[in-house]
Amino acid sequence: MEPSGNEFLRGTLKTIVLKLLTEQGRMYGYEITQSVKERTQGEVVLTFGALYPVLHKLQQEGLLITESVEVDGRLRKYYTLTPRGNETALQKVSDFERFVEVMKHLLQPVPALSIGQ
Amino acid sequence: MEKLNPQQVAILYRHLDQNGTDDALIEELLDHLACEVEHFMWIGLSFETALEKVLLEANAKAVRHLREIYQIELTMTADQLREASLDDIVFEFRNKAYGAYDLRQEYRKSLRTALVLSLGLAMMLVALLSVFSGQKWSYMSVWGAIWTLGLVAVTYSGATWFQQRMQHKYRMAE
Repeated sequence: MEPSGNEFLRGTLKTIVLKLLTEQGRMYGYEITQSVKERTQGEVVLTFGALYPVLHKLQQEGLLITESVEVDGRLRKYYTLTPRGNETALQKVSDFERFVEVMKHLLQPVPALSIGQ
Repeated sequence: MEKLNPQQVAILYRHLDQNGTDDALIEELLDHLACEVEHFMWIGLSFETALEKVLLEANAKAVRHLREIYQIELTMTADQLREASLDDIVFEFRNKAYGAYDLRQEYRKSLRTALVLSLGLAMMLVALLSVFSGQKWSYMSVWGAIWTLGLVAVTYSGATWFQQRMQHKYRMAE
């Protein structure tokens, strides 16, 4: 995506992470970046620099819990939604969908005939 | 899928460590980078090429940038700050497991226990000396009262010390 895309992404990163976790249940950081990359056909690439602060922030807010598992001799940290995280995820996704709808209206050219209706 | 051996993982760890990765992030970033290297190796690159490619992206600047963002994003909220002790603030983003945090947390309690213990021992000693100097011993006398008080103080501090040790052990085992 273009650099300006990154700007839009920053505000929606939390929503994306929460949404993915509602679908997949338990994920680790790299898995999240790969999943986003695959689903957007490489249009959206999350860098680790953007992802981990968000994950830890969500954890601090009590929306995620973590679980460390040893895989191939290294610690892998899995994230799962808490019940409150689940609620927040649904809320955020519906808020975002509304936002996208509103933005669509805003971006559409105003039909000339609608004036005066 | 290719798997990295411990030596190869250690190379990544050293890179992250030398670039000043936050303690709270290093294990996770290590896994992240290792996964990336494994992915590149899986599509046919050699370990060296894959490593170079991954480290190019995870360079010192990127790691420092991450650290900065992390610390801004995760500083304590106003509510947390109100409840935090000076130790919590000083040790935010620092390694609490190392031991200094525990020592500082327990300092007041340890100091009090030590004070009570030495006071109790001194009282018992004084009472004992008074007996040796030939006075008649009775629990109802002033010296008897001092002895009893000293004994209570020593017992109290002993019990506190023991409890603190048990708590510490329990925390370590967590």
